Amino acid sequence: MSDTFLAWLTVLPGYTLPLLLASLGLMISERAGVLNLCPEGFMAVGAMTGALAVLAGYSPAVAILCGILAGTGLSLLFGLATVVFRADHTLAGLATVALGLGITGVLGRPYVQKPFDGLTRLSETSWGEGLPRLLGQQNLLLPISLILVLAVWYWIFRRPSGLSLRAVGEDPAAADVVGIDVQLTQLGAVLASGALGGLAGAYLSVASAHVWVEGMVAGRGWVAVAIVIFAGWRPRGVLFGAILFGGAEAAMLRLQTQGVEFPLYLGAMLPYALTLLVFCIACARRGRDNGAPAALGRVYLRQDKH
Amino acid sequence: MLDGTLLLRRQTVPGWLRGACYTGGLVFGLGLSAVLLVSMGIAPSDLFQEFVIQTFMTYQGLGQTVTAATPLVLVGLGTALAMRVRFWNIGIEGQLWCGAMAATWVAINDIGPESLRIPLMMAAAMIAGLLWIAIPLILKLWWSVSEVISTLLLGSIAFFWVQHMLFGAWRDTTTGFATSPSFDAAERLSLLGWEQVHGGIWIALTAVLVCTWLTGVSRLGLQAKAVGENMRAAKAAGLPVLTTIAVFVLGSGALCGLAGAVITAGTEYRLSQSLGQGYLFSGIVVAFLARANPLAVLVVAFALGGITTTGGVLKVFYGVSEAVVLMAQGIVLLSVLAAQLFADYRLSERRLA
Amino acid sequence: MTHRSLNDASPTPQQTGAGEAPALLLKGIDKAFDGKVALSKAGFRLAWGEVHALVGENGAGKSTIMNVATGVYGPDAGEIIVDGRDVPLRSPGDAVDAGIGMVHQHFRLVGRFTVAENVALALHGAGRRVTLAEAARLVSEKSAELGFGLDPNAVIGRISVAEQQRAEIVKVLLLGARILILDEPTAVLTGDEARALLTLVRQLSRSGHAVALITHKLQEVSDHCDRITVMRQGCTVMDAVAMEETPVDTIIREAFGEVREAPRRQMAAPGAELLRIDHLSLTQDTPVLDDVSLCLRAGEILGIAGVGGNGQSELVACLNGVLRPDSGRIALSGEDLAKASPAHRRRAGLRIIPADRFDSAMARGLTLAENLALTGLADGRFGPWWRLSRRKMKQAAAKSLTAFNVLGGTPSTPAALLSGGNAQKVLLARELAAGTKVVVAHSPARGLDLRSARAVQDLLAEAVADGAACLLISEDLDEIMRMCSAVSVLNRGRLSAPLTGSDLTPNRLGELMVGHA
Repeated sequence: MSDTFLAWLTVLPGYTLPLLLASLGLMISERAGVLNLCPEGFMAVGAMTGALAVLAGYSPAVAILCGILAGTGLSLLFGLATVVFRADHTLAGLATVALGLGITGVLGRPYVQKPFDGLTRLSETSWGEGLPRLLGQQNLLLPISLILVLAVWYWIFRRPSGLSLRAVGEDPAAADVVGIDVQLTQLGAVLASGALGGLAGAYLSVASAHVWVEGMVAGRGWVAVAIVIFAGWRPRGVLFGAILFGGAEAAMLRLQTQGVEFPLYLGAMLPYALTLLVFCIACARRGRDNGAPAALGRVYLRQDKH
Repeated sequence: MLDGTLLLRRQTVPGWLRGACYTGGLVFGLGLSAVLLVSMGIAPSDLFQEFVIQTFMTYQGLGQTVTAATPLVLVGLGTALAMRVRFWNIGIEGQLWCGAMAATWVAINDIGPESLRIPLMMAAAMIAGLLWIAIPLILKLWWSVSEVISTLLLGSIAFFWVQHMLFGAWRDTTTGFATSPSFDAAERLSLLGWEQVHGGIWIALTAVLVCTWLTGVSRLGLQAKAVGENMRAAKAAGLPVLTTIAVFVLGSGALCGLAGAVITAGTEYRLSQSLGQGYLFSGIVVAFLARANPLAVLVVAFALGGITTTGGVLKVFYGVSEAVVLMAQGIVLLSVLAAQLFADYRLSERRLA
Repeated sequence: MTHRSLNDASPTPQQTGAGEAPALLLKGIDKAFDGKVALSKAGFRLAWGEVHALVGENGAGKSTIMNVATGVYGPDAGEIIVDGRDVPLRSPGDAVDAGIGMVHQHFRLVGRFTVAENVALALHGAGRRVTLAEAARLVSEKSAELGFGLDPNAVIGRISVAEQQRAEIVKVLLLGARILILDEPTAVLTGDEARALLTLVRQLSRSGHAVALITHKLQEVSDHCDRITVMRQGCTVMDAVAMEETPVDTIIREAFGEVREAPRRQMAAPGAELLRIDHLSLTQDTPVLDDVSLCLRAGEILGIAGVGGNGQSELVACLNGVLRPDSGRIALSGEDLAKASPAHRRRAGLRIIPADRFDSAMARGLTLAENLALTGLADGRFGPWWRLSRRKMKQAAAKSLTAFNVLGGTPSTPAALLSGGNAQKVLLARELAAGTKVVVAHSPARGLDLRSARAVQDLLAEAVADGAACLLISEDLDEIMRMCSAVSVLNRGRLSAPLTGSDLTPNRLGELMVGHA
């Protein structure tokens, strides 16, 4: 294994995990039929709250928990608007992002650009060279995230409650007549997306950058939305998409630190362009049946004619 | 819990009820935003003074409000046009950045004679915005690629492109900051002699007129209404659906591009990294609250201009981040959306023995 | 199709146990949808061990009252008593717990799930934890018991409608339903399948279940049901009358208001050939239209009968030009239109009345004037492209509304506010405007009250008398028999040769419709 590749692998999780976690949560929400454009907002409040907690002297673990709670709190608003008040999912999602970005700007402005220690790596040097070193460079959230992907897969596709979740997204009327609480399921799914989005944001600030700056999510939330679509709402596809985008981002950075000459911002643009390209190819190949939950984005009302 | 049996969809919604819910949501949202500001330590009397008196009732404040509203009218119109044919243009910022870049390119390369410089900048910006939205339009029509995603991603891509130019070829060598060189006098929209209000206001008003004509008077307007209401019926009735969608969507991109040029040539006089921030949400908020009606866009954009101005004042004198404007937009949009529940549905009480 | 006459003795009614509490008792049920009354003091009494028919016109409230009984709709007033106990049904889950199960007209099955997954979902909803394997085993057992032969691992979206119905029945029974409600179960079935289903229903009632059968096929009622309830305009007009005491013409009078008049058939005036379809085929996963050919002459109404979902909507869409057939020719007065746009076909004189007017013909949010003007925009009669004259649109609309006797709307009324009959007349006014050569009408009278239905049918007949031709695609045999001189049957995408003269009998059509020809 060449050094460049190893170095790339070392930094890969830092770019992949936020996307992975946000997309995973988003997938849960959309599997329940709630079209969700919120990750950008969830991640923003998660990142800010996590950073603020660390700066206030709490341990990184507590800070990450705070990030999760902040994301969940924001998602509760979105969930109430869409699930209880039956608002348009797209517009409510955009409003939630605006709210999230606005809150971070208002509350977090004094804490911008203040570096902190954040979540430590498993081990800096003691694990030797090569692969052990690579592993030592990671933090605890890497195994936790991978376990989460497996757990979500198992839950959605193997557990009865996962079956209910998917049924609500596919055909809420069919779920309703057998006694499944459509609204409660959807609200739960939205909260899960908020929690995971908040975790993704907290990862950005507490575990990865060790600093908070306004706008540090930088469109990753939108990328997460794209990832879930071309993943066909499947955990495996989400993992692949997150690695693709994160990998491209990490590769750009590696190349720059190794002194390869190319424009900085065009390089930063590349992962987004790549996402768009892969997204288009996926859409063009699959055509109409892209695996989307059949009732995605539709407002369900029991007493409508179905 | 959350019992769906209580809700009944109304067959028709009376106008007064829709209006009442809209107003209720708006008032609740604005009120909540005000309460949040007060809880951050701004006295209610100060807030009233800044938001109502200073922003709308003084010569100086009104001038600032009008200046802030000018680009808002353009992005609001742009979003409204796309909304009319059910196309989610969430890449407003991308088209705006492209328009700003095109105008800057014309300006710093001194393209064309000086007397035509401004029209050229505006035309270039419109073309740039139009081309930038043509990509998601084509992707949607050919491969049914969701425009929500493609416009959003193209927005991020355009922003990186701006940064690439500002940190590279266009960097202002005299200051060293990441902005383009300052525009010459011929490349600036003329000031009207009232605060910073500039010629862009005529562009915005013309755009309102053109959009009013397009949506309300021309044949395309009715076609767009039919497409927006029921695409299948429009197709079956033999309407030129594709042309209609293309005109409205491309027009949307062109207007957003134009907004970019108006900001660069009217207020900033240079391209900077910050000039386009936040217009995505402003455009959506203006178009949604105006129900995609061009004349209403004018009113809503003016009101939002006032909020933006107040945000600026709060930042300078009270130390509150201007992000408070973004937060207020989110709150208002969410509360107006949620309030529609009471218009769209009837809450029926079960009277079962 | 059974050929027993309606007055044959029905199967022996079960002893319904006098004094025993009825299985399901609905009393004085009111239900309005935002002011639109759907049920008013409606009632229904279902006894254990019987098969009970619920009969009435479209929109009479049959499905609504059963949706009340299953907790889907909340009634505005009334009592629901299950097996002698007052049961407040707050949600469908409560109905499941009370042992009530409904096989909806549009099955409540998740299309992407397998049969076993759907059953597991239902059991999970009812609070029973089962694994998929257990659910599959339960499906196999129940399916074997009922003689269904269902594959538990088959995906719902990929099996036939009849199999989906079996899956739904298995699901409902596994949920423990003892009161079964079947909403128009035979509408989607062939004759053999329908017979098998009705036999099963009888078996279930013998084993103690109570079965309510919503239907509009009177033959089924007299052959297979013990008692009958008739609903009309939201009210119960015949309440649980024993079948053998009830002559069929009484039922017809109660349910439909009048005895239907004898078929009226006009003679086909031999005119010029207007529409010719040659070898039209369309495949969407499975063949939807299979080598369809027909020929239509001026002054002729050709009927296309058949159970819905056998290719009717696709045929209409192909004729309209919004769906492209894989092969075949569509010619209007000799001009090949197979590749023409909808606008071109309309100009050539081909007009379409689709079955779902608010889905694919009119926009609810547009005013009547706007809806009427949509098809006339291109030729500039309402002004040039840069200036549309609202005044001209309203004038033209006012004329059309008067000419077609549209009530309850002015040119500025949004289309959504019109009743079904009047909305249909507006659509006819638009489509039968000048230059109509061929009008394709798909179930034009579906869901309309009798008076509006007659008005719509008369308007079509008038257009034909004026020299146009009409292709009438309908599931309603009465309508077809009354309107058409020649009738073909569309069955699984294949179109039969037209029946005319003495060959044209309901029995013969019925045989073709269920594929025994």
